[in-house]
Amino acid sequence: MTLSRRARMLLRAVTAAGLAVIYVPLLVVLVNSFNTSRTFGWPPRGFTLHWWGDTLDNPGARAALLTSVEIAAAATVLALVLGTMAAFAVQRYAWFGRDAVSFLIVLPIALPGIVTGIALNAAFTAGGIPFGFLTVVVAHATFCIVVVHNNVLARLRRLGTTLEEASADLGADTFQTFALVTFPQLRSALLAGGLLAFALSFDEIVVTQFTISPGLQTLPVWIFANLFRPNQAPVVNVVAAILVLFSILPIWASQKLSGDPAGGRL
Amino acid sequence: MDDDQGVTAARRRPAVVGAASAFLHRHPRVRLAGLLSAPMLWLAVAYLGSLAVMLVTSLWSVDSFTTQLVRQPTLDNFRTLLTEPVYRTVALRSLGVAALVTVVDAVIALPMAFYMAKVASPRARRLLVAAVLTPLWASYLVKAYAWRTMLAEGGVLNWALAPVGGSGPGFGVAATAITLAYLWLPYMILPVYAGLDRLPDSLLEASGDLGATAGRTFRSVVLPLVLPAVVAGSIFTFSLSLGDYITVKIVGGSSQLFANVIYDNIGVAGNLPFAAAAALFPVLAILLYLTLVRRTGALDNL
Repeated sequence: MTLSRRARMLLRAVTAAGLAVIYVPLLVVLVNSFNTSRTFGWPPRGFTLHWWGDTLDNPGARAALLTSVEIAAAATVLALVLGTMAAFAVQRYAWFGRDAVSFLIVLPIALPGIVTGIALNAAFTAGGIPFGFLTVVVAHATFCIVVVHNNVLARLRRLGTTLEEASADLGADTFQTFALVTFPQLRSALLAGGLLAFALSFDEIVVTQFTISPGLQTLPVWIFANLFRPNQAPVVNVVAAILVLFSILPIWASQKLSGDPAGGRL
Repeated sequence: MDDDQGVTAARRRPAVVGAASAFLHRHPRVRLAGLLSAPMLWLAVAYLGSLAVMLVTSLWSVDSFTTQLVRQPTLDNFRTLLTEPVYRTVALRSLGVAALVTVVDAVIALPMAFYMAKVASPRARRLLVAAVLTPLWASYLVKAYAWRTMLAEGGVLNWALAPVGGSGPGFGVAATAITLAYLWLPYMILPVYAGLDRLPDSLLEASGDLGATAGRTFRSVVLPLVLPAVVAGSIFTFSLSLGDYITVKIVGGSSQLFANVIYDNIGVAGNLPFAAAAALFPVLAILLYLTLVRRTGALDNL
């Protein structure tokens, strides 16, 4: 389309403004974590690393960070196994009910987190299962399956089956073909999907709140509990900054790995 | 001779593995069943089962003295939800906010996505896509918190608007709508960008050759073709807005949205059956929305 100079400029300006709106709040969080002032006020009064030190010594935040990492790691491992199996079933076989299964895989993130949270909460309550570490892992794995599934599915579609057939023709059995031919080609897709699953679990709060025990805190749950306590504000700022960095770094790595600027598939 | 056989035998895997492999190779159905078993056990049995338990739980009640679950079917929860005016008010406010957020996101996403897909150079395009979508994954809680620092009394917005004599909206419904629009914007840009990317440039050129202005081309060519993608994005913005209570807690002041009704009944009141009944409202609203937009072909754009 031949756009006038003015229209081009206008579109460029809107896009730049949109990007600014997207990034300014995140930058404010980062800048705020170095603010000398104890209470929030803009602009910052001065630069200090004091709160970062304080946060690293804060036992609550440290315990929450550890819990978050453990839960995200466990959920990621489960999601990797289940998501990969599902992706093979959906991509490599034509069968009745395939569309229904694809839909079922997306459902945990298509429905609002609060619905998934309530449903799992009701099921754990009805089953007499006590809330705690494992219930959160189960809940997180449920909505992480889809990101692994989508990444592996996209890779399988691109790979085709010719190399696997060649491997079978050369005498390799099913397991050897998987271990020596299929898996090495899937490795980077699994890594990308795993990173996304980890990031998704790491900063999830809604489903977590409905499936966690009162004594246990993930990092987002810790932030939410301390958000409204004025004397905790500087530490919350630092933890928020850490959370931004921790959730963006895996995505960045995943984008590099999958070669997809959207960071793999949603 | 013997040695050779020894080597081959050592290289060979146990007979069981070979047999299993051959069996699997000849029986694709068994392979499929094996691949499906664990994911289906998890999603179909555990997850769908949980949704079913939620439905059943919504028919139960809680004994107000002992706070124990009473597992007797009753429609009391639904009666309360439908007759108490406060729930209607909150439900309508939630739908209104969700609709507003969707419209705001569509209006921002269309020009941005158009620039990314049709105006920017291929190199700039890749960078822009990454720049827009990376924050999509950044912590949702922190993004809502970031807006608390933007909108607070001594916050960034008031500071920036003070020289021109303006001020931010403060905490309330407007702040909730702004924050939600911010949170879900990438979910709108992503499908709209994909939709515009698929739109052949030749159509736009043809329209221009036939004498249409840029505005006319946008109205008569681009908009009708990209509408399914916008609707696909709206499914995200609408359904995510309906399920949100965190943002309201952080920037919403005292005006609650429907998801807060659900959350408060779990947390403070400990009335799981009522929360489960209330959770059916967003589910029904989303299902209704999905049926309405099905005809636009938006579901293929997800």
